[in-house]
Amino acid sequence: MQWLQRSVGLAIIGLATLGAGALWVAVAAGDPEAGHAPDEGLLFGIWRVFYDTEMPAPRVLLAAVGVALLLAAGVAGVERRLLTRARRSEDGNRMPLAPKLVMTETRGEYAGEVTITVLIPAHNEEGCISETLASLQSQSLPPARIVVVADNCSDGTVRLAREAGVDVYETVDNKHKKAGGLNQALAQVLPGQGDNDCVMIMDADTTLDAGFLEGAAKRLTNDRALMAVGGLFYGEDGFGLIGQFQRNEYTRYQRDLRRRRGRVFVLTGTASVFRPRALRAVAEERGKILPGVPGDVYDTIALTEDNELTIALKTLGALMISPSECTVVTEVMPSWRGLWAQRLRWQRGALENLGAYGLRPQTFRYWMQQLGIGYGVIALAAYLLLIILMILATSNWVWFPFWIGIGLVFTLERVVTVWRGGWGARWLGLSLFPELFYAMFLNVVYLKGIWDLSLAKQADWKHVVQTAPGSRAEH
Amino acid sequence: MPSLVVPMGVLLPDSILRNDFIAVLAAFVAINTIVYVTLAVAKILPKFYLRDWLAASNRRSETRSIHPDAPVGGPTGGTLGTRLAQPHRRTRE
Repeated sequence: MQWLQRSVGLAIIGLATLGAGALWVAVAAGDPEAGHAPDEGLLFGIWRVFYDTEMPAPRVLLAAVGVALLLAAGVAGVERRLLTRARRSEDGNRMPLAPKLVMTETRGEYAGEVTITVLIPAHNEEGCISETLASLQSQSLPPARIVVVADNCSDGTVRLAREAGVDVYETVDNKHKKAGGLNQALAQVLPGQGDNDCVMIMDADTTLDAGFLEGAAKRLTNDRALMAVGGLFYGEDGFGLIGQFQRNEYTRYQRDLRRRRGRVFVLTGTASVFRPRALRAVAEERGKILPGVPGDVYDTIALTEDNELTIALKTLGALMISPSECTVVTEVMPSWRGLWAQRLRWQRGALENLGAYGLRPQTFRYWMQQLGIGYGVIALAAYLLLIILMILATSNWVWFPFWIGIGLVFTLERVVTVWRGGWGARWLGLSLFPELFYAMFLNVVYLKGIWDLSLAKQADWKHVVQTAPGSRAEH
Repeated sequence: MPSLVVPMGVLLPDSILRNDFIAVLAAFVAINTIVYVTLAVAKILPKFYLRDWLAASNRRSETRSIHPDAPVGGPTGGTLGTRLAQPHRRTRE
């Protein structure tokens, strides 16, 4: 089985390459016209310029636009269809969390108001735990209980938590880091929870916006079939250009989710609320429908446990949402090295999860996403190669009016999609090329993730320790 | 006469731009660029939800609230006129 998991990355990049290869062959068969010498002209009757009015043939343009629209509509259509099927499922053996079944089981029963118990896994978090707890205690709807799950802490985390007046659960002989610690704490907490006594898991380095818990409780009150509410995260201020790159990325992600009306990609580990029924069902199905050890809520092998839990819940038919009122501020990586390590873990975790779940309807969207990134790597590399060749081989600057127009549309998209991020975000979007290089950086991480997974290199867990506001160290 | 002609480094001969491989590469990049720009335009434009206006068949038959006696919420159907007059349903505030 392991070889199958290891080949996931290669299969994805292989498929993307195959697609690109097919397009290349089709293009070559059309015998495209080689570039010709640019025209020379006068701009406003004053400036002497070289220009080239070259643009793709109308049928090529139309075909490319058509393919793009078909692809986008196809993926969205299939995803919606699968979602609708899950919502209407009555198969309790394969989808025990399907809304119809949950509705039937809870019909006419009132299990009390929605309460939220917060679990915060913490491993040496003295630099940020107090701020996190303060943000929780000042919520417009405070949590019923806060439990810091202290895992092998050797600093002041436990002391600070106790001083803040919250419960502390110290893990016992935990060898599975965050997921293992959470499993131990959940085993203690879950048995006593009623159907509406929800559990929130949140990172110790995350700060909730004031209305998060109230918003989540309202959603869970209004819809008894709703199994989980995920947070929308955006990046903290500061850390210069690299911070802004990440904030822009998160702002776009938020916008995408709003446009999907909250339909979840990943229930973020930064802060997500679960109905106990959902977590119990996952623990129950591990080793059967789901990978992992029976009885565990979190799969201790998964490198990105939030992504894995999302796929697990989707597999069981759970209804989930990431509503716009549930926002959290999360850390941004302060250095390229830190970002590299974080993204490598995310990337590899996502691929490993796909390997563990294989081809199932519930993973369709994630396979497509990976395939999209894979093709994007090839497309962006080809673009940069062409630009470099042109720059090295052209003796004079040549203006391409058609492609300049296309570039302006891209720039507009970059700016519009980060508009809510403020002027810093907009200026960075407007400059286009820095973000292109950021995308290239992420692409290289993607390739490295595939490389590591294929060679079965041991994944490393980089932990960022927050020592004082504004300064961090990676270990 | 002022000039916008910027001399550039000529590390490679001009003639490679008329090479067949470069022609295919340029066409390949051009098609990809059009595909991506189409997706970019789709992202710029506001999203239109056809089902909002056609959701009459999506009517709820019972309350989904945790309170068994709460009124039935969600899509309510009705004529196109009444549906258009309703606030957005589902997750929108």
